[in-house]
Order: sequence, then structure tokens, then C-alpha cells
Amino acid sequence: MANPKTNFAPAIQVFKPHRASLPPLIPYLKEFWRRRAFAIELSRFADKAEYLDSKLGKVWLVMNPLLLAFVYFLLVTVIRGGSTQKTGLSTLAHILIGLFTFYFASNSINGGALSITAGGRLILNQAFPRALLPLSSSISAFWQFLPTLPVYVLVVVIGKVFFPHTQIPGLRLSYLWAPFIILCVGITGYGMGLLFATMNVYFRDTNKLLSYITRIWLYSSPVLWRPEILHGWHKIFLYINPLGPSLAATSDVWIEGRTPSLGMLVGSVVWALLAVLIGGYFFVSRERDFAVRI
Amino acid sequence: MPEELAIRIEDLSIKYKINIDTKKTLKNAVMRASKGEKVRTRIVEAVKHLTLDVPHGSVLGIVGANGAGKSTLMRAIAGILPPTEGQITVNGKISTLLALGVGFNPALSGRDNIILGGLASGMTRAEIEEKTEEIADFAALPDGFIDMPVRTYSSGMYGRVAFSVAVNMTPDILLLDEALSAGDASFKEKSFNRMRELCAEARTIVIVSHALQTVNDLCDSAIWMHKGNMLAKGKPEAIVDQYLKFLDVGTLPSNLEDM
Ligand SMILES: Nc1ncnc2c1ncn2[C@@H]1O[C@H](COP(=O)(O)OP(=O)(O)O)[C@@H](O)[C@H]1O
Ligand SMILES: [Mg+2]
Repeated sequence: MANPKTNFAPAIQVFKPHRASLPPLIPYLKEFWRRRAFAIELSRFADKAEYLDSKLGKVWLVMNPLLLAFVYFLLVTVIRGGSTQKTGLSTLAHILIGLFTFYFASNSINGGALSITAGGRLILNQAFPRALLPLSSSISAFWQFLPTLPVYVLVVVIGKVFFPHTQIPGLRLSYLWAPFIILCVGITGYGMGLLFATMNVYFRDTNKLLSYITRIWLYSSPVLWRPEILHGWHKIFLYINPLGPSLAATSDVWIEGRTPSLGMLVGSVVWALLAVLIGGYFFVSRERDFAVRI
Repeated sequence: MPEELAIRIEDLSIKYKINIDTKKTLKNAVMRASKGEKVRTRIVEAVKHLTLDVPHGSVLGIVGANGAGKSTLMRAIAGILPPTEGQITVNGKISTLLALGVGFNPALSGRDNIILGGLASGMTRAEIEEKTEEIADFAALPDGFIDMPVRTYSSGMYGRVAFSVAVNMTPDILLLDEALSAGDASFKEKSFNRMRELCAEARTIVIVSHALQTVNDLCDSAIWMHKGNMLAKGKPEAIVDQYLKFLDVGTLPSNLEDM
């Protein structure tokens, strides 16, 4: 080989016609892993490009969900007919952390859905595992999500100073579950991003549909309401929602300060796996078609 | 595949399916389904039953009119477009410069784009960082333009960066689609020399170019494509000659009419 220093993997490649079936998975995943730096840098550079001239843009990323959370909090409080000092802060905290987490997933899905159709040039001119593009969107969503966590902590700490009788726990061991749940949310978001990215190649108005889905999805998730209000068979609404278990677990960890129930943990993992397997299947089996259809 | 071959193309056909009347939206799909209509599509055969071997270390030129299927063929060799029929076997690492500006993000600086381009083509972060300076030097943009957003570039500067990225990747196989015409006379000479170097390093190069003199000078062999068919294959001088005659007269030579 002309340059032995570089470790470019497959020496011989064969390109053949394909039906809607998976390419050889092991080489695909190897290549995917080998080029992960591309996805990471792409998201970093996309952020850089977007906020190059506006420092305010980054602030807005945090402000937007924060303000929205306060609006929802007012709405929920009004509907409920006021709240006591005891429950008020925990309602706000619950909405905050729920909304931040939900936004992490939905940003990753929305960004992922557009990543292929928006990546026209790159897709027409370079061969690489296309699943890296939605991954890059998910990474961006994660970097947007991360600074909202200290904002949450800040709101709770300030709140605890003003309302010392609140139920919100301080530092608890249960917080150790948070990274695990965030990972599940991230994987679920990535998997669904893959699914909608594929759909968006075939139907260009998918992202419009997605904005309705996202809204309905938010209202049917335990973000504006506590998961505890569901009893008996109603609990099924938590489990049929891809983000239901992980959002309920989020509430358990942050608001109740307890280890999430086994059901919620298993539910989170199962949905993450389902999303990435189903989304991955649709995406990878059709991605060789993308260049023709873009 | 024989050892000495870099690219083997066997009976390759590539078809595009184009929706004629409607935009591809869910709304339209539902509307059509409710009326029981079918989507009207047209099939464009961009490459038709093409068979070709490219040995290691050879330089192949492709000439042909617009819409002949040259870019489609290049994308297929790069593994971007899947064959509709036939197969392509490629032995070696490919670097592509297909149409100008591989994935260039106009808001980012030239340097950032070089890094992104390198990563997209499969280099590691360390490898591309090591090369960035070399690539930037090769592009030799005036007064610090390399650190300015790409949107402020002239098309010539844009082309210079894109070309520098492609030729400094140390690929085994280099695919250049109408990329040699970038920049001014001095850059052209420099890129021509760099191409010579690459040829001398026994790399395999496929060039699509409308600069027929370049094809003559650089290539060991050439093919002429017309409406998806490979009309002729041979020494570059002969192919370019035939092609020029065709351009002059506007009709195919009679011995090729029936293809
Ligand atoms: N993305 C595409 N979708 C549909 N048709 C295409 C697409 N790209 C190229 N074609 C068609 O394929 C044919 C060959 O195009 P191309 O390979 O770009 O030719 P060339 O590079 O030789 O000018 C043309 O008829 C063109 O209309
Ligand atoms: Mg072309």
C-alpha cells in the first residue's frame, strides 16, 4: 500500500446492488466506530458555526427551556388552583428537570431527522456510514442539555433558601442513577432520530409532522404531571411511551430522591434498545439509497 | 480480482428514479393513495452496462458531454451510489474530490473545513491535524484567508482549498471530478505538478475533466462516455481526438452510431 502509516481499514471493497437489506454489519459498525471522531467534531463545528457571532445564542439555549418551564409551571398551578409552599417548588423542579430531559431527546430526534436531508453535499461527495450524521445531532443535543443541569441545581438551591419546607431532597445517593437514565434517554433519542431521518428522506414533510408529534408526546409524558397520578392499569401509559419510563425515573431521582423502581429502569433500557435497533435497522438498510434520493 | 487492478467495474448500470409531478411529501402520498393514483416516475439510466479495469498506478481520464454519466460513475466507484446492476471492486483507500467543495460549511474557516473534510474522508484527528498545515500551505490563500469563514472566499480560493485537501490525503485511489480547473495559472501549474507527483508515486487516479489538454498530458488512458455508454477506450490522444471531432460535428462517428 502506498502509505503504510495510515490504518485505512478495508483494503478491498465490493459494491453490489442491494435490496432493502442490511449491509454486512461488522464492517459497518467497525467503520462507524473508527469514524466516531467525525461525528463528534461535526457537532462541535456545527455549534461553532451557529454561535460564531452570537454569544447570546448559547444563553438562549438554556433560557428557552427555562422560560418555558416557568410558563408551564404557572399554567399547572393555575389549573390546579394554586399551590402550597410545600408542593410549589417541587412542582416547578419536576417540570424543569422533565422539560430539560425531554428537550434533550426531542432535540436529538429533530436534529437527527434533518441531518440527512440537510447533509446533501456531504452525502453526495463522501462515502461514510451515514448513521454518523444523526449521531452528530444527538451529540449536539447532549451538549445543549448539559448546561441545563447546573441551571436546575441553581433553581433548586435558591428555591430551598426561600422555601425551606419544600420536599425537594438535597444531595442524595440516588443522583448516581442520573447518568444512567440520561444515557438511556440519549440512546432512545438517537434511535428515533435514525427512524425519522430515514422517513424524512422519503417524505420531506416528516419534520413538520414531527413537531406535532413532539407536542402531543410532551403532554402525554410525565413532565407537566407527576407519574404518581397514574394508578393501576393506567400505568400502562407510562410504559407505552418511549420516554415514559425514563422520564418517570428522572422524576424519581431528582424530585423524590429515591432509586427508580425496577420497572422504570427496565422500561428505560428496553425502550433505548428498541429505538436504536428498530431505527438502526430502517436507517442502515436504506442508507445506500440516500445518495440517489437527495 | 487480479492483484494489479485497483478498480474493476463489471457490467455496471446505474439508474435514477425520478418523481415527475409531485413533491415527495407525506401529504401528497396520502392524497394520492386516497384517489388511487400512482406516482409517475421516470427512470434515467445514467450508466449503462459499463465494464472497465483500472490497474494500480495508472491515470484514467474520462471525457464526455454534460449528462454523460461521468459524475455518476465516479460516485459509484467511491461507494456513494450503489450499482443498480453489476458490481465494482475497489482495492485501496479512496479520496474523492467530486464536484467542488466536499461538505464545506460556509460559516467555518478554511482551516476548520480542512479538518472536517479530513475526518469525513476517514482520517483520525491526529492525522488530519498533522496535515492541516501542509494543506493550508499548498492552498496558499492570500493574507490569512485560511482562518476566515469560507463564505468570504472567491470561487477560485474555494477550489484551491478543496483541491489541496483531496491531493494531500495520500490516498491509494484519487477521484477528481472537474477539479483541476481551480484557481489561477500559477495554482494550475502547481496542481498539475502535484498530480504528476501523485502519478509518480504509483497512485491510481481517475480524472473527469473538460480540460482536454490536461487529460492528454496526465493520463495513461482515457474513456469517452456518452449518454451512459462507454463509446471508446484507449490512448488519451486518440480518445480526445474522437471526442473533439464529435464536439465539432455534433453527431457520433458512424462506427459508433449503433451503440
Ligand atoms: N441525483 C440525481 N437524481 C436524478 N438524476 C440524476 C441525478 N444525478 C444525475 N442524474 C442524471 O443522470 C445523468 C448523468 O448525470 P451525471 O453523472 O451528473 O453526468 P455528467 O457528470 O457526465 O455531467 C443525467 O441525465 C442526470 O440528469
Ligand atoms: Mg458531472
